[in-house]
Amino acid sequence: MSLDFLVGFTIFMLALIMVVSMVPGLLAGLESSGIDYDAVAYRTGVILVEDPGWPVYPPWEMNDEDHKDEIERIGLAVSKDTPNILLSTKVNVFFNDSFFDPRDYRSKVIFGDIPYSYNFSFRSEDGTYDKKTGTPLPPGHGYIRRVVKIKEPGVAVIDDRFRSQYTIPDPLDPRWNSIARNFTVQLNFSQLLNQSVGPAYRIDPRTEPVTVSINVSQYLNSTCINATLHDVAFWKMDPTRPSPRFTRIPFSYAEEDPDFYTLHIDGTSNECLYSLEPGARVNESITLVLKPAATSQFTLDQNSILEIRFNFKDDPPHTNITGIHHYDYNVTNVTLPDLKPGVLEVTIW
Amino acid sequence: MVNDSGQLYTMEGVAAGIIMLLTVYIVISTTSIYTAGDTHIPDMQLEQLGSDVLAMMDTPNAKDLKSDLEVFVNTGNSTDFESTFLNYCNTRTSGATDELHMSANVTYRDGNDIKERQFVAPDDSWTGRESAVRVTRWVQLPSANPYGGVRVRAVLVEVLLWRA
Repeated sequence: MSLDFLVGFTIFMLALIMVVSMVPGLLAGLESSGIDYDAVAYRTGVILVEDPGWPVYPPWEMNDEDHKDEIERIGLAVSKDTPNILLSTKVNVFFNDSFFDPRDYRSKVIFGDIPYSYNFSFRSEDGTYDKKTGTPLPPGHGYIRRVVKIKEPGVAVIDDRFRSQYTIPDPLDPRWNSIARNFTVQLNFSQLLNQSVGPAYRIDPRTEPVTVSINVSQYLNSTCINATLHDVAFWKMDPTRPSPRFTRIPFSYAEEDPDFYTLHIDGTSNECLYSLEPGARVNESITLVLKPAATSQFTLDQNSILEIRFNFKDDPPHTNITGIHHYDYNVTNVTLPDLKPGVLEVTIW
Repeated sequence: MVNDSGQLYTMEGVAAGIIMLLTVYIVISTTSIYTAGDTHIPDMQLEQLGSDVLAMMDTPNAKDLKSDLEVFVNTGNSTDFESTFLNYCNTRTSGATDELHMSANVTYRDGNDIKERQFVAPDDSWTGRESAVRVTRWVQLPSANPYGGVRVRAVLVEVLLWRA
């Protein structure tokens, strides 16, 4: 074997080794940096839009700061049967930065071992919702956009439309000689939770707040300018039990707790906030929002009937309001907002 | 026996080999290859978006209403169908709106034949070379419908969606 051949072959082998050592660098140019992030964004979008989260009942969004760790998965869908229909209460809690921190978003929505950065944003077509959480976007991120509709809770407004229906026709009649006046809003769960109504349009007090607004000024006696709201009480009945009857639900009525309910009298500011035993004079209106966290404590099932009783006391009575208002699917009784279109964007990097 | 010319040939061969290998390396490293693994991502995103839009258009806003999709297809209202579809598609949470375009067909059964009607014609951005995706949805129409039915029937709405 000649010296020339050895030298030439050695140089060739050195060149070959050099090129082979560059091969990993060659292939590095072929790998896509976007695939992983796009896949994670897609997965996160599916979880948010098509899943109600876990636990389902009581729903995860009812957990307070102390029970946040019980939330296993965050999903915004009304139910697993209604993909892309989001529940407003879930959306509001999800975008609450003071409740969830980045660690929560990573462990309950994005998942995976890598600490991804994220940006979630949601905007409804009418601009009512314009929410965002996360950090500003860098170049080279994974992205998915989902078109959704958002479901909002209904509101029962007792205004002058019901005046003839809910006003005592003859206050001088002996059977109305009491100083108390009682007005009831009744929620029949067997009607509300009837399976014939799809989850996207269902009134479910277990997952959505119940709002009752009474325009008291329309029900005052002609000589009075206000009436005294003595208390608001919750009563329930289970018709499937033997000798069913209404019983007063034990509840901390005297304690103001915005996590469970809000009771506003003559306005919406914090000064107008009262407990359920206000003993306060009402000139204009009463607005009660009963939140799902409270309803879940009432141990109601799909056969129960819940009554919210507003008790007015004046001597002589300042209002002649009475009757039972049914909180149901009758559009006159409860105003159910239309589903609102919106867009949810998920960005991961 | 090896002489001087043999050495030159060897060196020339070695040099040529190195030059070839370096050329291949430079060519490969400077060429960006769009792999099949990448192409499906924008397609998947568009398909998901289009499916979402059709699903939401087929969801009534209230319990006893009909869906926009059913109303538009049943009344042949292609103008509102196009504007609603593109509005849903192009809306973003912030910044400029997206630049998506669409065309649509309705496929239905007529006796033993399967027929297709153009519902929304493609606009000027369509050249035929776009990387368009196709999304479909079955729509249930009432008995009085413009597709020759005398009873409740389903028609297939097909939408071509592309980014211009």
